[in-house]
Amino acid sequence: MIYNPFHGLPPRSIVAAWGWLLLSAPLQAGVDYVKEIKPLLKERCFACHGALKQKADLRLDTAESIIQGGKSGPALKRGDAGTSLILQRIVSADPDERMPPAHEGEPFTAAQVRLLQEWIADGAPAPADDRAETDPRDQWAFRPLVRPAVPVVANAAWVRNPIDAFVAKQQELQGLTPQSEAPPEVLLRRLYLDLIGLPPDLAAMDGLLREVSTDGYPGIVQQLLGDPRHGERWARHWMDIWRYSDWWGLGDQLRNSQKHMWHWRDWIVESLNAGLPYDEMLRQMLAADELYPGDLKKVRATGFLARNFFLFNRNPWMEETVEHVGKGLLGLTMNCSKCHDHKYDPIPQNDYYRLRAFFEPYQVRLDAVEGVTDPNIDGIPRVFDGQPDLPTWRFIRGEENRPDKSAVIPPAVPAFLAIPQPDIRPVTLPPEAWQPERQPWVIPTQLASAQRNMTEAVEAAALAVQKNSGTPAADPAAASVAGAGLNTARQRVAWATAEWESVRCRADAMRAVWEQATGGPDKRRAAVRAERLAAAAKAGHSLAEAEAQLARAASDKKPEVEKAVTTAREVFAAAEKTAAGPMEPDAAFTPIPGARWTPTRFLNSSADDPSIPFPEKSTGRRRALAAWITDARNPLTARVAANHLWARHLGTPLVATVFDFGRNGALPSHPELLDWLASELISSGWNMKHLHRLIVTSATWRLSSSAAGAAANAAKDPDNIHLWRRHPVRLEAEVLRDSLLALSGGLDPAPGGPPVPPAEQNASKRRSLYFFNSNNERNLFLTTFDAAAVKECYRRDQSIVPQQALALTNSDLVQDAAEKIAARLAQPAGPGAAAPDDPAFIRHAFLLLLGMSASDSETAACARALEAWRALPSGTGGDARLQLIRSLLNHNDFVTLR
Amino acid sequence: MNRSPFTRRTFLSDMGMGFTGLALGAMLQRDSLASSPGWHPPTGMPHFPPKAKSVIWLFMNGGVSHMESFDPKPMLTQYAGKTIAETPFASAQDPAKLALERLLVPDANGNQRNLLYPLQTGFKKHGQSGIEVSDWFPHIAQHVDRMSIVRSMYTTDSNHGAQAQFHTGRNMLDGEFPTLGAWVHYGLGSLNDNLPQFISLGTREYWIKKDGLYLGPAHDAVPLRIDPANPLDFGKSARPLSTAAQNVSMDLIRELNGLRGVEYPDDPAMAARVASYELAYRMQHALPDALDFSRETDETKALYGLDLAPCRDFGAQLLSARRLVERGVRFIQIQHGGGGAGAWDAHSGLKANHSSLALAVDQPIGGLLADLSRRGLLEETLVVFATEFGRTPGSQGADGRDHHIYGFSVWMAGGGIKGGVVHGATDEIGFHAVENRHYVTDIHATILQQLGLDSRRLEIPGRKRLEIDHGKPIREIIA
Repeated sequence: MIYNPFHGLPPRSIVAAWGWLLLSAPLQAGVDYVKEIKPLLKERCFACHGALKQKADLRLDTAESIIQGGKSGPALKRGDAGTSLILQRIVSADPDERMPPAHEGEPFTAAQVRLLQEWIADGAPAPADDRAETDPRDQWAFRPLVRPAVPVVANAAWVRNPIDAFVAKQQELQGLTPQSEAPPEVLLRRLYLDLIGLPPDLAAMDGLLREVSTDGYPGIVQQLLGDPRHGERWARHWMDIWRYSDWWGLGDQLRNSQKHMWHWRDWIVESLNAGLPYDEMLRQMLAADELYPGDLKKVRATGFLARNFFLFNRNPWMEETVEHVGKGLLGLTMNCSKCHDHKYDPIPQNDYYRLRAFFEPYQVRLDAVEGVTDPNIDGIPRVFDGQPDLPTWRFIRGEENRPDKSAVIPPAVPAFLAIPQPDIRPVTLPPEAWQPERQPWVIPTQLASAQRNMTEAVEAAALAVQKNSGTPAADPAAASVAGAGLNTARQRVAWATAEWESVRCRADAMRAVWEQATGGPDKRRAAVRAERLAAAAKAGHSLAEAEAQLARAASDKKPEVEKAVTTAREVFAAAEKTAAGPMEPDAAFTPIPGARWTPTRFLNSSADDPSIPFPEKSTGRRRALAAWITDARNPLTARVAANHLWARHLGTPLVATVFDFGRNGALPSHPELLDWLASELISSGWNMKHLHRLIVTSATWRLSSSAAGAAANAAKDPDNIHLWRRHPVRLEAEVLRDSLLALSGGLDPAPGGPPVPPAEQNASKRRSLYFFNSNNERNLFLTTFDAAAVKECYRRDQSIVPQQALALTNSDLVQDAAEKIAARLAQPAGPGAAAPDDPAFIRHAFLLLLGMSASDSETAACARALEAWRALPSGTGGDARLQLIRSLLNHNDFVTLR
Repeated sequence: MNRSPFTRRTFLSDMGMGFTGLALGAMLQRDSLASSPGWHPPTGMPHFPPKAKSVIWLFMNGGVSHMESFDPKPMLTQYAGKTIAETPFASAQDPAKLALERLLVPDANGNQRNLLYPLQTGFKKHGQSGIEVSDWFPHIAQHVDRMSIVRSMYTTDSNHGAQAQFHTGRNMLDGEFPTLGAWVHYGLGSLNDNLPQFISLGTREYWIKKDGLYLGPAHDAVPLRIDPANPLDFGKSARPLSTAAQNVSMDLIRELNGLRGVEYPDDPAMAARVASYELAYRMQHALPDALDFSRETDETKALYGLDLAPCRDFGAQLLSARRLVERGVRFIQIQHGGGGAGAWDAHSGLKANHSSLALAVDQPIGGLLADLSRRGLLEETLVVFATEFGRTPGSQGADGRDHHIYGFSVWMAGGGIKGGVVHGATDEIGFHAVENRHYVTDIHATILQQLGLDSRRLEIPGRKRLEIDHGKPIREIIA
């Protein structure tokens, strides 16, 4: 098998080898230009010699234009492969001559050359309708968004809203008839799982089923969209697309993402529940620190960017940012332009670095939150423009060690979209943004903490005094231990008091500066003094501790401890001397911090880089980019969002390549529907709940997923591209786990907050989106069911592997749930009611677990199984009803949204 | 148009309902594949007649010193204590020759180590071929006439990102990519429908924990523990059922799914799920059997060193590997040496570190080769011994060696690989691969070649693979 025809041959023998090939290859007549030649040239040549570019004035996208040639003359002579320039250049041994050039692509294989040669020898036949590539800017997704008129269709009775008219139109063109509506049980389960990610409760089921089948349907939709659990359900979808990840690294060292990233997750949940428009969500994620610099609640949104932090190297960090802003928000594979001009879309290599330039200045920090003084315990990860003047360079062939320093790359967006370039204006930040210690909670939190320490120290000292209040110990050693302990407690009070004084004085001095009050210099000196006194008091406490240790030490250890006491005494003396001594005129105190820059290690992997201060201005670059992305004239943003929304409601997207709307991506299955949805999204004020409502109330969404009795449809459209039925969907991992907990009555509904750490997950009853989830720490049950990989997950996999069956049979989660569900279903329906008999138990179990009414044969099968379990020798069948529940949890339709 | 990669009707007949078929099921909704006319998923058949059926992939985490294993360099001892600049080999440090380095995570290691450090063990010629192997690997050395040693490997990440790089072929600066085992799993059908076809044993370090990546989680290795009582995640219930009760349950699930299938006919996902349940059931029984050594003779167990404390764990993994290969498992990936970035990472105390680790792996590997060979399995089983990089010719601190990407060794045996061959060479101090240099994907290409797979025919639309990803088979070592 020859992979690479040049392998093993010295370069200069290549032409000779080709000569042999050309002579010896058996010529077969009838190479198909459309099937064999044009796709080959498209893959290998069109990027430079097609609609995108016409290097050397040569186009190879029609047979005619190949013959016509370019600067070097005709590229092909019909019937004469030997003298055809195209072939000569393709097989050339001279690296400067060979096409495609070394850095643009591999050489043609022997088989490919032979095809081309035969085609030319045949006279380069091509059909009359051989058409040139269209202008890349004419790609459907790059054209301005125009709201399409809602079509008039024959099957008007089926149409519930405009969505259905677009779907019906295509069905009618294809001669397809939509299946009937799904039964109420199925619709109800769909509504709940789709909108809140949890199944309906059995108690409410009968009433809900009545409503679904009558005119109560919109009311249920309205209620579920207003349910706070809706935000939790849809946040998880957007967390996939926006690459939510908790931090990870090696051991304790943070290398990727940020600590406390959950603040961004909570912002997503809250924003969705509050109905924050999609465009506003994007703006806040990209630039809340510039748009709302004083509003830390909104600034949480920039976790979207902080998540890309990488400790050791700026380039992967920036590359992830550019790649996923491109793919996730715009449906553009900008990442393809890192090394060279894009091969399919009109995105020159420089555009990649221009987009990077918007992000070049940003850095990450943790802002203090109320009540917490230690950023390791809590803080809000967010971005700020810390390096406004950092230049962006283009990397030659994408190689980071080859920056082209001849020109700084300015921030700019791809020009082909023909929307005005972003208007970049610097943002003057309010003081509390660049002096976060001025946030109103920072100083009170520090004071309260110091106060608390003081109170605790006083209480501890009182306790110590009380303990020592009896008769003094007769044993001098014991007396010495007691005395030392008491002294330590006293010194702790002194230290805590001095520390409180230090915080108070430093706060005073800082306020004096902010308020430009008089007496500032005095307050500064007082703060310096107080801080030095606190340092001395701390040293005094350390000394007391050392002395207490000495008192307790065994006699053979005493000399060693004595050394420590001597050192502590020296430190204390020095601190006291400093505290009492003269003060330099420019002496400064340590300001109370309101935020901590997350250090990078770009320069030296074993030490933090020099710290980056918080500037008074932000470049305004990201604000401008956010405005451009969310500009209603941007043809991509709304289309990409509408496609994501649709995909998650219907189980399949309208554009299969959800992250690539460019020329290498898929075409939309329903182009007009997509444009209508995108227009509707914009005109509703980017209201996602409006789109959710439209979609789940459409006849299309309500279709049955059954293919029964639809042989004619299946013959015409076996893959259901035209949506004549619903696609059944495997439940996402989180919906599956959350449903198990909800059905068993044990789900802990607590919203938000820090993630559940891996060690606590097995016992936790919280919703799955609250589990700690990073590149390195992922929950086994959830990953077994294809939970999102944090690096990229624009679509969930819906794998079917035997490990899932094992998890649904053997995991504690499922077994616990089965027991609780069986017990719940065995309860009487109400006070005074009889406990359900087997048929009632079966009926309820089917409704609750599978969202379906058990048929007679299903009920009979279950009854037979119950009997069979009960007939087993004592103790080996277990609780028959429990076995039934366990079996139903392994039913295909438990893990499937019908 | 939005064409599904394969129609749902052909899906059922295409998939044998074994593991590979189920993995295809994973792609039911993988629409990113959909846009390419003419693209088909792999059939599970080799692309050309294979020489090997299975691969046992032995990977030493942390970086084995090539000089003290399979590429002895007496010049190190001769020039010990001299800086490289003082020796006739000064040109090794020519910056141009060092330029291939690309680090994901720079650390205080990975620096130039200038003072040559003498060999920490002796070496001897072995076999008819007279290939020199260090004295730390006497059991493996007995099999040199079955092995091809490639002494001219290089990689580019001089930190442990190279672990991922050796499995995926890509520097981690480029992102994360499917591993070789995932590609094999993706490309080849099943030889045993009761067992997973891609199994992982041993300790996987921080650098790479998954295999399938963009091929999807269905192509991740299934991690196994060498514990017949509980080999598999979720493989065992805390509240087990009697077989009779389980059978009632299985029958009921089958019947109910069947009844549902009347209302929802032509649903390949349902068919695949039913098959996956039955497969899981069979697997629960097949796996403990595969890992049960009770019918192995004492002689065989001793061959793998199961009676010796240092060898016991690794020996049990290798004996399991042989038993899995016998049962048709395609790719068994065994990582040796946990802790830190990998146990072999001998920044200090190289002698103590490598001699004790070699003691743990040498006899089991020698035993594996002997056992496979006498059972006639070696002909169709390719055994690979690899590590992420070598170690520096110069010393780190008093008695260690640092990471070294410019030259290191890998060997293969069986599965149509020539025996008694040394291919490629490093320079006289083991610094640079200078003869027949090979990047890690050449090892991948060689393995795929022996399995009958053409990696270019495994490409999937929307995922551009580069020339370097495919590598080139090392023809000189293929029999």
